[in-house]
Amino acid sequence: MFRITRKEDLNAMDYLIEVEAPMVAERFQPGNFAILITVPQGERIPMSIQKVEDGKIAMFIKRLGKTSIELDGFEVGDSLESVIGPLGKPPEIKRYGNVVVASDLVCGHAENYALCKALQKIEGNHVISIQTFPTKDDVYPTEELSEAVCDEYYLTTLDGSQGIKGHYNDLLKDLLDEGKVDIVFAGGDIPALRDLAKLTELYDVPTIVTVRQIMIDATGMCGSCRIFVDGEMKLTCIDGPMFDAHKLDFKDIINRLSMFKKKEGEAMEYIKSKTVDK
Amino acid sequence: MMVETDKIRVPMREQPSEERVRNFDSVPLGYSEKEAMAEARRCIQCQDPACETKCPVNMKIRAMIEKIAEGDFKEAFLIAKEDNPIPAISGRVCPQEDQCEGVCTMGKKGDAINIGKLGAFLGDWAMRNGVTEELHIDERDKKVAVIGSGPAGISCAVDLRKLGYHVTLFEALHVAGGVLQYGIPAFRLPKDIVDYELTYLQKIGVDVRLNNIVGQNVMFDELRREFDAIFIGTGAGAPRFLKIEGEELMGVYSANEFLIRVNLMKAYDFPRHDTPIVCGSRVGVIGAGNVAMDAARCAVRLGAKEVYILYRRTKRESPAREEELHHALEEGVIFMELVNPTKLLGSEDGWVKGIELVRMKLGEPDSSGRPRPVKIDGSEFIMELDTMVNALGTVPNRLFLDRTPELETTSWGGIKVDENLMTNIVGVFAGGDSTSGGATVIQALGEGKKAAASIHDYLSGR
Ligand SMILES: Cc1cc2nc3c(=O)[nH]c(=O)nc-3n(C[C@H](O)[C@H](O)[C@H](O)COP(=O)(O)OP(=O)(O)OC[C@H]3O[C@@H](n4cnc5c(N)ncnc54)[C@H](O)[C@@H]3O)c2cc1C
Ligand SMILES: Cc1cc2nc3c(=O)[nH]c(=O)nc-3n(C[C@H](O)[C@H](O)[C@H](O)COP(=O)(O)OP(=O)(O)OC[C@H]3O[C@@H](n4cnc5c(N)ncnc54)[C@H](O)[C@@H]3O)c2cc1C
Ligand code: SF4
Ligand code: SF4
Ligand code: FES
Repeated sequence: MFRITRKEDLNAMDYLIEVEAPMVAERFQPGNFAILITVPQGERIPMSIQKVEDGKIAMFIKRLGKTSIELDGFEVGDSLESVIGPLGKPPEIKRYGNVVVASDLVCGHAENYALCKALQKIEGNHVISIQTFPTKDDVYPTEELSEAVCDEYYLTTLDGSQGIKGHYNDLLKDLLDEGKVDIVFAGGDIPALRDLAKLTELYDVPTIVTVRQIMIDATGMCGSCRIFVDGEMKLTCIDGPMFDAHKLDFKDIINRLSMFKKKEGEAMEYIKSKTVDK
Repeated sequence: MMVETDKIRVPMREQPSEERVRNFDSVPLGYSEKEAMAEARRCIQCQDPACETKCPVNMKIRAMIEKIAEGDFKEAFLIAKEDNPIPAISGRVCPQEDQCEGVCTMGKKGDAINIGKLGAFLGDWAMRNGVTEELHIDERDKKVAVIGSGPAGISCAVDLRKLGYHVTLFEALHVAGGVLQYGIPAFRLPKDIVDYELTYLQKIGVDVRLNNIVGQNVMFDELRREFDAIFIGTGAGAPRFLKIEGEELMGVYSANEFLIRVNLMKAYDFPRHDTPIVCGSRVGVIGAGNVAMDAARCAVRLGAKEVYILYRRTKRESPAREEELHHALEEGVIFMELVNPTKLLGSEDGWVKGIELVRMKLGEPDSSGRPRPVKIDGSEFIMELDTMVNALGTVPNRLFLDRTPELETTSWGGIKVDENLMTNIVGVFAGGDSTSGGATVIQALGEGKKAAASIHDYLSGR
């Protein structure tokens, strides 16, 4: 079970991994995520799902810390300890009109794909996808981008080396000025989501963003993933991870994400020392 | 005639406190066969044993102890198992002083018989010697779903399986056992004991499905279609927060998060186990029940220099088991009485750095019969802390209830059941913390058994 069927580099930092997880695949809805446990003594880490096909789920993963780097050492044919899900409360897939789906980071790109694909199928939606990468070297292979699953596509790079120069927020401002946007879905870098919220609030355009918060059980039992929505405590794992951006307190969200920074550093040192031992 | 020595318990050997605060191994070391027999011989075999009536599952304590005294551990174990599938566990975690041992005749003039530790001894003995009850299961063609693998779910599943039903147990986490696994620390309840009981479940043919979250990736409707009856034992695992300023700060944990990190994910063994925990050197734990004691004792073992129990009543009103409170104090936990938190103070970078407390005094008894704590106006003061654990108790998990609106609940969110533990939906039963809001392992276990009997009646058309 949970055998890896595909694994490819997306860029120098991110990779795609496809795993057999029939139960997750069968019930997946765009916006759901999964929890992975790579090895028996491993932690439970949440990952967005890009695509499901024939009982397999695909995810985009950044080589960030201990678990994501360790998982990068797995090969096609190896199995994960567990893949749990689908988790989270997905947004309603319905007719919204002009929908913008924007992303600038690994998890955001995965959701961007899933959301575009589902929203585009609804009659009356015009789905505009914007994906931002730092430079042209970071851009994912074309088949993993949302271009094929939306109606209008923009690729931006921060340095302008490919596509439009700038961040999705810069481009979005133009679209908003044109009055072309009924709703925005976005995911990725949290400070950029904060800027997005400020921007769309000016135009009074509903904005749904994916909040990443540190999770353990992802069933509403620990409270680790708590955030404040309009001052009320919500749990990212069961009430989210998608929330109305205009009601979020981004400062706390950003703070809490760094809670285990020092420990994560120790974990990295530990795997390095283990590899030296070998 | 009672000789003086009969008044005193055979002492339980324990890890010395200066040693045990550095590990997560069991604090009590357990009775040897000789010690167990000596303790059992103190029992005067009452005609009308009060101990049995006060045991929530009415274990046949007298007969069990008689067999231990004779050295017939196998027979004693089988007697214990008749009413209690997990004597090794209940013996370690029951609040015996309020139950069996609280009314033991021997306790009137001396020490009550150590019934709990004798039960634990039997469970351990059977595990070590590979002794199990012989089962002959007559298969039936009906299927029952059990949701949740805590003590309520375990006992319900075991009893139904023994009656021949096909039982599928759905558990949300990647490990079965409920609070026994993720809540109660290994130094009180070693995990090999819990694992052993869970293996037994599979051995007798219960189909255990981990990572199955009913209401999320398995729908309640599907279960209703697929199974002839359902038992809900989802517990009350959601944390309650104080709703005061500062709960978003880093270094502030619910007891559930703190204990799940430590026990389920084994953060004490970080980085060999991946899940981290940040525990500072001055830790405050709000509350004084078992959960609070467990969190405080974990903090001590994680290296905290000062650990405070912050309680709005006094030690006397603490709902924790006697043994736990005693062990916590031995391990250096400081009990601060008559204080209530009013807000948490944070540093520039978002970490908790202190707590504002207000002093309390005891007033008139409240509905629970305990004196009501009353705030002393103007007595607020600040205490420096770098970690805060909130052990205020828990409430039923919202995830399941939100997605099963057809289930009737009480005003506080518990599942409503009738005297047979049936919910408002015919064929759907519930028990344990999901209906009581939080009680004890043995009560949950008793309700699991009772529900199994009701389900059997229901399915056999009685
Ligand atoms: C709903 C959701 C969807 C996500 N989707 C993706 C995705 O599609 N691709 C991807 O690469 N990452 C995704 N993440 C983030 C991913 O879970 C973390 O990057 C991962 O846990 C890092 O683990 P690590 O050991 O490699 O790194 P670590 O060094 O342990 O952590 C690096 C950083 O990751 C975050 N993190 C660590 N542990 C957790 C945890 N248990 N839960 C959440 N965040 C954590 C923290 O901000 C931390 O500073 C998602 C997170 C959430 C909550
Ligand atoms: C830290 C702590 C210490 C304690 N100490 C003691 C003690 O010393 N003595 C004592 O007698 N009692 C103690 N208790 C109380 C006791 O543990 C509980 O009363 C008892 O465990 C309740 O059993 P239960 O089976 O109802 O629920 P739980 O043990 O809570 O088990 C419920 C199970 O259901 C699962 N679940 C929940 N929702 C779903 C879903 N939707 N789908 C599938 N599975 C689901 C959960 O993951 C969990 O495994 C303590 C509790 C805690 C938290
Ligand atoms: S189950 Fe608990 S109350 Fe009953 S005899 Fe055992 S320790 Fe005592
Ligand atoms: S009450 Fe005490 S002395 Fe009497 S039978 Fe029970 S354990 Fe023995
Ligand atoms: S991850 Fe534990 S409550 Fe959300």
